[in-house]
Amino acid sequence: MMLSIILSGFLVATFLLVVAKRITALIRSFRIQAIFLSLYALYMGLSQRHLEMFIVCGLIFVLKAIVIPFVLLRIIRRINVEEDLGLLVNPQLSLIIALGFTYLSYLFAHNAMALTDPVESAALAVSITVVCLGFFIMVSRMKAVAQIIGLLVMENGIFLAASAISGGMPFFVEIAFFFDIFVFVIIIEVFVYKVNRLFTHIDTSKMKSLKG
Amino acid sequence: MMPINNLILVTGQVILLVLFAPLVSGFIRKIKNNLRMRKGPSVLQPYYNVQKLISKDEVISRHASWIFLAAPVIVFASIICALFLVLLAQLGPFGNNDMAILIAAFFVLGLGRFFLALAGLDTASSFGGMGSSREMFISSFAEPIAFVAVFVLCMSGADTFRISTLLAGFAILMVTLAETSRVPVDNQETHLELTMVHEAMVLEYSGRSLALIELASHTKQIIFFILLSWYFFPSMTGGVWGWVIFPGKIAIISLAIALIELSVAKMRLFRVVDFLSFSFFIALLASIAAGLGI
Repeated sequence: MMLSIILSGFLVATFLLVVAKRITALIRSFRIQAIFLSLYALYMGLSQRHLEMFIVCGLIFVLKAIVIPFVLLRIIRRINVEEDLGLLVNPQLSLIIALGFTYLSYLFAHNAMALTDPVESAALAVSITVVCLGFFIMVSRMKAVAQIIGLLVMENGIFLAASAISGGMPFFVEIAFFFDIFVFVIIIEVFVYKVNRLFTHIDTSKMKSLKG
Repeated sequence: MMPINNLILVTGQVILLVLFAPLVSGFIRKIKNNLRMRKGPSVLQPYYNVQKLISKDEVISRHASWIFLAAPVIVFASIICALFLVLLAQLGPFGNNDMAILIAAFFVLGLGRFFLALAGLDTASSFGGMGSSREMFISSFAEPIAFVAVFVLCMSGADTFRISTLLAGFAILMVTLAETSRVPVDNQETHLELTMVHEAMVLEYSGRSLALIELASHTKQIIFFILLSWYFFPSMTGGVWGWVIFPGKIAIISLAIALIELSVAKMRLFRVVDFLSFSFFIALLASIAAGLGI
């Protein structure tokens, strides 16, 4: 029952990410998604009685819901970029595509994995959806910030998939992952800053031609 | 054929809810004012408004036809009828029969909306026509969402929290904001603004007719709150307990609506399309989930 509530919140947050037109809206939706992910970890910790899951929950909340959005908002303020995300696919069409992805991953989770509990197979379906949609955001939004968010969304999906199939990765792998993500975001922040200073924009579709 | 005691039960509920409906509006207004650190009018203010309007004289334009006179009565009657149907659907566990009943309820609501829009056009004032066109514009997006969300409920049943019903409930929440003219779509608190939708349509009305229309919009709000309570408080209807916790459910929904209204800004009219199309896709997602039984 609680799992259904958390999963539907997670799914709605992912659709909010897909429909976002502006950079701040994208970051805000990512924060909502991260909060639901940490709730999921909390639920797993409570139901399996693993102390490690509580630490993971705290880490997700601090890192993904507070630190990473803060860092991303800071870089946007610093480089003073316009709010437009550079959409290749408009929000409505994106939603239709997202709906297709969702249906395919539901089918995949039902047929490929023989999970007895319908809610658990739904968790797997939602995680595959989230991975696909993270990829979709990376491909169809042209601003560098959207690509960072897309990668982080994919990471969220992989975390959910791992815990839906096997009840979570080993604790040290999890910690290493979080450290990786954190360093990634810090490096990318510097990178985006440099790109903006060199090219005066962060639009990846305009980066095909060489510049001396 | 329905047993006679169910008929009496539902009729009693309808009467109670119509009496109870203005209180909910007053309650939401009170919450909003308290959160803004204002005192605000009393919770009973909607009742005083209705009482004041009934005692006043009515001003009718010379150019008004019979539609202008008939519309308030038709609107009120259609909303009462829809409330009756919704409560009828609530009696048993949700199934295919209820799907038919709820479709009837939405079409009856549509009849009332049609006559209200006609009445807005009838006196040929510029505001009325504008309000009517906007109302039809918004409701043509909101109605399909409500249909899909109700189908989802009838397919998966309202016995526990499911992914499908929760997603459909989220869609219905957005429809409720649009249909009860709440902030991201419309603003109930302003008059004579260029942005208003519902208020522009009923601008020509005064006196007893306006009282009837206000009472109808309070009742319509209750209908949508009952719909919401099916999704977010499953298996809590029926029996003595259903009567006891019903005010609690409505109070929680009112609080949520008031908080949403305070925390978002009103949208441009053409942004409403984005808002409602998002809601429609969430409802479709819910129907996929319902088809797969989760």
